[in-house]
Amino acid sequence: MSAAEIWIMIIGVSIVSLLPRILPVALLSRMEFSEAFKEWLSYIAPAVLGALAALSVIAPNGQIDFHASNLYLWAAIPTIIVAVRTRSLFYSLTVGIVSMALLYNFM
Amino acid sequence: MRRNELVLGMRDAFPIVLGYLPLGMAFGVLAGEVGFSIFQATMMSVLCFTGAGQYIAIGIVQAGGAIITIIIANVLVNLRYFLFATSMVPKLKGNVPTLWAAILSYGLTDETYAVAMNRYQTHRPSTEYMAALNLTAHAGWISSTLLGAWLGAFITNTDKLGLGFALPAMYICLLVMVIGRRSDCYVAILTAVLCLIIGYFFPPTMVNLSNIIIASIIGATLGVLFNERS
Repeated sequence: MSAAEIWIMIIGVSIVSLLPRILPVALLSRMEFSEAFKEWLSYIAPAVLGALAALSVIAPNGQIDFHASNLYLWAAIPTIIVAVRTRSLFYSLTVGIVSMALLYNFM
Repeated sequence: MRRNELVLGMRDAFPIVLGYLPLGMAFGVLAGEVGFSIFQATMMSVLCFTGAGQYIAIGIVQAGGAIITIIIANVLVNLRYFLFATSMVPKLKGNVPTLWAAILSYGLTDETYAVAMNRYQTHRPSTEYMAALNLTAHAGWISSTLLGAWLGAFITNTDKLGLGFALPAMYICLLVMVIGRRSDCYVAILTAVLCLIIGYFFPPTMVNLSNIIIASIIGATLGVLFNERS
């Protein structure tokens, strides 16, 4: 791909990644949502986080991997315990990263 | 100007930046390998800020694919933000002026969405918080890309440092924090399982992440139905 083509590609990707984020906020803010729709929207955050957490741990490389060699599964265990106990992003992240480093270097 | 909100936004962005560090650096290295200049790699992170989309772009460039293929793949990958942004509208309304909210939504990612929605459960959104959170995260993404593109092959393996688990750990903790109602918990588990099943039977959805969109729409709908019955 030539330098000019790379720039065209970057601008194209920029437009399609920008629009879905900006348009709803720009256009829908004037609208009044129904209570039922608001309730539906209130489930989007737990739904998306459930999906992201599961994917990032169970399919860290884009494929479902339930083998014991998937270190992400092991690192998730102490992280979940600390997250439930402390509800602190700082402690969860620290425990997660340290567990992963230990597993990677010593397993 | 509420300085306190600015500081809080930056502080809340810190774990996100930590998670972006290895991902942004890896993107910078890969972009250099397929022929991007350091400036181009960095500008892609400035103008796009779509981790998965940028990785897909590199993959298609490497495979000799067309520009239009990259753009179509990115339409699919970024479609989930439509859902995220819409679910943020009721929260932002009346708290952040529409123009600012729209401009700052450029910094909406999986991570900034998760952190912000978590905060908005108990605090009113503010322009300052949203700006600080999104811009700090974006600055982290840009600088780690620059670092990767610049250092290139000199990068040592960041897996050794365990940084690969920064984002999974963040998702796990935010998930725990975002669950308030019993039905939230059911929706989260159901969506996670659905997302994996869809991804298993339709592997391309694992790459363009449409499994997240489909599973979330079904999960949220079942959540509403479940709550009505109980």
